[in-house]
Amino acid sequence: MSLVNFTSREITCKIVYYGPGRSGKTTNLQYIYGNVPEERRGKMVSLATTTERTLFFDFLPLDLGSISGFTTRFQLYTVPGQIYYAATRKLVLQGADGVVFVVDSQARQLDENINSLRDLQENLIGEGVDIRTLPIVLQYNKQDLPKDLILTQEELDQVINFRGYPSFTADARGGKGVFETLKRVSEEVLRGLAAKGPA
Amino acid sequence: MKAIKTVEPWALEPLEKFLAEASARLCLLTTPTGQVIAQYGFSRAVDVISAAALGAGIISSSREMAVMLEEPAFDALNHQGERHGIFLAEFSSPRGGLVVLIVYGPESSPGLVQLFFEEFVRDIDASCPPPAHQAPVLAADFEKELNDNLRTLSGGDV
Amino acid sequence: MSADLQKKLEEVTRVRGVMGAMIVGAGDGLVVAESLMEGVRGNAVAALAASLFSRFGDASSASGAGAPKFIHLQADEGSLVALPGADDVIVVAVTDVGVNVGLVRLEMQRVVEAGT
Repeated sequence: MSLVNFTSREITCKIVYYGPGRSGKTTNLQYIYGNVPEERRGKMVSLATTTERTLFFDFLPLDLGSISGFTTRFQLYTVPGQIYYAATRKLVLQGADGVVFVVDSQARQLDENINSLRDLQENLIGEGVDIRTLPIVLQYNKQDLPKDLILTQEELDQVINFRGYPSFTADARGGKGVFETLKRVSEEVLRGLAAKGPA
Repeated sequence: MKAIKTVEPWALEPLEKFLAEASARLCLLTTPTGQVIAQYGFSRAVDVISAAALGAGIISSSREMAVMLEEPAFDALNHQGERHGIFLAEFSSPRGGLVVLIVYGPESSPGLVQLFFEEFVRDIDASCPPPAHQAPVLAADFEKELNDNLRTLSGGDV
Repeated sequence: MSADLQKKLEEVTRVRGVMGAMIVGAGDGLVVAESLMEGVRGNAVAALAASLFSRFGDASSASGAGAPKFIHLQADEGSLVALPGADDVIVVAVTDVGVNVGLVRLEMQRVVEAGT
């Protein structure tokens, strides 16, 4: 949950990038890390295997600057996508203020996407989080791949996005859609704070 | 020279006292999700924000292991290195669960840290105010500032 | 912890005026073995005694006197006595006022010998 300090006028929020294995969650953070001024980001921590698969989480702190007089910081996390890391996914998800669900747009990954989304929803419900009000943004990544291999945004919205979450197309390696996704989830999280106060 | 940063001022005195008595080098007080509430000590020893996130990860993993073993939560974790040791523990406070991460050198010891940690928990309990209802945080028209800041972050991409 | 070592520790506490005896890790200040009377805060004494022993070690080394062989801290209402053992441990005893320190030291030395 968001940490708000009225004395020092600081806000810290946690955003988790969720999704099936190899969908591009870590790539999102790596792109953000590589393209944000050094003074606006901290060190990126990656707990990964020797083959660069996320083992526990990636972590990147961002300084969003001053918003309404509050120094606003976002902590971006990714979860490990592989099926057998279910327990650690649950742990990383705890306390999330917003979620970016990174979809692998390849048609052959559709089942993995659906299973991962179901996994996310079960974990949120298990944590007592109201999934109707938690800011969630979908990112349809790998839209740069050949058209015959991927599903379009419209197709993916139809199959996956039955709750009508904001969705963005992306090519995380090239950076397309990365900041747009981050912007939208940031807005949703901060709008939630503006509406109701901190959790 | 001590670097002090407290997001929550009520934590400063207990932290200061604890560090002095236990001869520790750095103390971070965080939420269970790794957000730093207060820090006191030589923060050059570690990257504070990363350490807080990692500490939260370790604590949450250990908590799950304890659940699997049908144990109450483990009291504390100690890692002893060649030049530094770290001590991690989660405890209850009027503000809910908190995590403390302590870095110490050869001038201290796990026994000393553990001894004064118990006193630290009591001090935090005494000094921590209960959470008060807070007014909405942000002005309704925060989008402009957010957009400006994100534009700066992304180099104009957004 | 061998039964013989534990027995030797208990013999320290049989000396009149000894309220507790412990084997403490010198590096970590944690209790390895103990024989304590009610009211003696073993964990606290262990941590602080180890810290004290380390500081005295620094002081005696700096003074050219070498490593400490025996420490006797006399206070208003009792004493803390410590001597180094093998394998990076310290033998510590908490005593009342007026205890025969020499006898305590002898019994503590037997603990050290039992441990080597």
